[in-house]
Amino acid sequence: MSGELWRQPLEKLAPAIRTGKVSPVALTEACLDRIERIDGRLDSFIHVSSAALDVARVAEREIKAGKWKGPLHGIPVGVKDNYLTRDMPTTAGSTAPGLAFAQRDSAAAGMLRTAGAVLIGKTRTHEFAWGNVTPPVCNPWDLSRVPSGSSGGSGAAVAAGLCVAALGSDTGGSIRMPAAACGTVGLKATFGRVSRDGVVPHSWSLDHAGPLTRTVADAALMMQVLAGYDPADPACQGQPVPDYAKALGKPVKGLRIGVCRNHFFENLQEDVENAVEKAIGDLAAAGGKVVELKIPLLEYGLGAIFAIELSSSTAYHEASLLAGRVPHYQPDVRMLVEMGRLVTGPDYLKAEQYRSALMQAYRKVFESVDVVIGPTTPITAWKRGEWTVQVAGKPESVLAASWRFTYPYNLTGLPAISVPCGFDRDGLPIGLQIAGKPFDEMTVLRIAHAYERGQDWKDRWPPL
Amino acid sequence: MDDPYKDLLGLNLPPERLKEVLAAYGDILAEIRKLQSLDLTDVHPAIVFEPTAPYRNKP
Repeated sequence: MSGELWRQPLEKLAPAIRTGKVSPVALTEACLDRIERIDGRLDSFIHVSSAALDVARVAEREIKAGKWKGPLHGIPVGVKDNYLTRDMPTTAGSTAPGLAFAQRDSAAAGMLRTAGAVLIGKTRTHEFAWGNVTPPVCNPWDLSRVPSGSSGGSGAAVAAGLCVAALGSDTGGSIRMPAAACGTVGLKATFGRVSRDGVVPHSWSLDHAGPLTRTVADAALMMQVLAGYDPADPACQGQPVPDYAKALGKPVKGLRIGVCRNHFFENLQEDVENAVEKAIGDLAAAGGKVVELKIPLLEYGLGAIFAIELSSSTAYHEASLLAGRVPHYQPDVRMLVEMGRLVTGPDYLKAEQYRSALMQAYRKVFESVDVVIGPTTPITAWKRGEWTVQVAGKPESVLAASWRFTYPYNLTGLPAISVPCGFDRDGLPIGLQIAGKPFDEMTVLRIAHAYERGQDWKDRWPPL
Repeated sequence: MDDPYKDLLGLNLPPERLKEVLAAYGDILAEIRKLQSLDLTDVHPAIVFEPTAPYRNKP
């Protein structure tokens, strides 16, 4: 294998490790060295595992002995700091006194270990996975900008080659937004596809677990390990898990590509709009049938997700409110947790009624299309400390803008991926979002991979 | 009832902090008001009560 190991995607490393051409120890050392040299500027890791090299040595011995466990064997993977891990501390991004999280493996961390992955460290999250930023993490493409959030540590770490892949969590877009802002792939699978057991809750019915990776094929490989039924997660479903690799390398010819012109194409930056329109054109040129459509109900979504997210979060933090810990939270998180009591029971249930109606609207849409595509976010990475951005010539709060296109898929639980589709005039990555039918990650991956193969975005690296 | 926020909602905050929280909630409330205007009378909420849940096999 030519080139630096840290630049290689999982899809190339896995066969090279299996055949002994790449050493898991050398790969882990390369990532640790990169963390040592680069992460002082990025701040993407809150904890680096002291056991990583030992785990890599064990993996190397096992593989040499013919006991290869699969594509993740010997691969360094970052774990977002809201996933419990038995050998690394979990803080969920909080320094509030009196909080303690169990020292055991979350289901996802356990599955990665069983698959032979090297859990190289914990990546930073915004406190309790709230928020669209991840202080103090910087965006590798421009250190003066945010990596978005809340899985900003994972996004920055994967984009900078500090680990091969990472886990994120997504309640309103927290996997897909940092993937778009940092130029990585981010996959939020169908609600119930990946166990959230041992992930510190944010909003029970909106939270999703999933991977951030360098390529679409890497996301498929991660999903193969993470997907499946887990009785410990009440939302997990026993749907059969397909062979995700079979989604790759197939043409888009004949597939129906939905483009929802309301909501997803309103108020977005010019460069984002141009890049996404170009991507739609590329898919059409490749034989995809573009179907323009509208989902008017999306207009009511923001109130619904706020009602569910605020009330759920406040319910989860009730003990901390009573114990007086919440004033020690970060100011924005404290505000949102205190605010949740203002959402009434009828408002919450109205939001859940709305979700049913929106799911029905999407079901009807999926009678005539296979996927719905559009921008992941209306804006690229914004400056650290900036709370208002110019969108389509008008000022808009980053809180309102950043998750506008991602939260509909948390309300509906539909699978959605963000894949890089270009750069803006400042050299910042842009994300294309592809959403599919429930448990149809295969079609989402197929179209994402077909698009990615025709571009060179994944071969570009941030100037670190 | 001296303090409806505290007595009805359990929002036990000093007056100045309560003002800040209410002010910040204004934009969100506007979105929730919009949601309230939708007639969803005949739509079952996306919540399913499952009495068999405790009988799932835990690892």
